Amino acid sequence: MKNRLRVLRAERGWSQADLADRLEVSRQSVNAIETGKFDPSLPLAFKLARLFEATIETIFTDEE
Amino acid sequence: MYGSLKNPAIKRYMWRFGVAITLYVAFLCLAVWEFRRGHPTGALAYALAILPSIPIIGTIVAVGMYLAEEKDEFQRTVLVQSMLWGIGATLAVTSVWGLLENFVSVPHLDLFLVYPLFWAIVGMSAPVLKARYR
Repeated sequence: MKNRLRVLRAERGWSQADLADRLEVSRQSVNAIETGKFDPSLPLAFKLARLFEATIETIFTDEE
Repeated sequence: MYGSLKNPAIKRYMWRFGVAITLYVAFLCLAVWEFRRGHPTGALAYALAILPSIPIIGTIVAVGMYLAEEKDEFQRTVLVQSMLWGIGATLAVTSVWGLLENFVSVPHLDLFLVYPLFWAIVGMSAPVLKARYR
C-alpha cells in the first residue's frame, strides 16, 4: 500500500531505526511498510497515525 | 534497537530453546547409554526411547510461544510464511522419498530427520522471504 511515511519521517529528521524504536518494531518492519510491500495491521496503522499526528487516510492511500 | 537480541520475545525464546536443546542432548545421551549398557525392555525401553523427543516437542512449544509473544507483526509474518514453506517442502520431500523407498532402492530416511529437515528449509526460506520485502 502506497504511503507518505518516508516524507513524514524526513520532515522530523528520523531515521528508519528512530521510527522503529518509537513504534517498538524492527527497522526491517518500518522499511517493509515504507516500501509498500507490507501492509500494517489496523492497530499499527493507528499507532503510526498518532505518532505523526495525522489520520490513517493521510498517511496511506489505497491507490494501486 | 528493536528486532535484535534486545527484543524480549526473542530473548525468552532463546532461553527456552537453549533449555530444551540442553535437555535433548542430556536425554539422548542417557537413552544411548542405557540402551548400550543394559538393553532395557518393556515400558522402560519405551520411556527411554521417547524421552529425548519431549524437549524436541518443547522447542515446538517455544516457537508457538514466541509467535504469541512477538509484538512485531512483520517478524511474525515472515516466520509464519517461512514455516509454511517448511511444511510444504518437507511434505513434498518426504512424500517423494517415501515413494522412492517403496519402489526403487534409495537409502532409508529415518523419521527423526524430518524435524531438522523442516527447520533447515525454514532457515533457508526466511532470508529469501525477508529479501522480498526490501
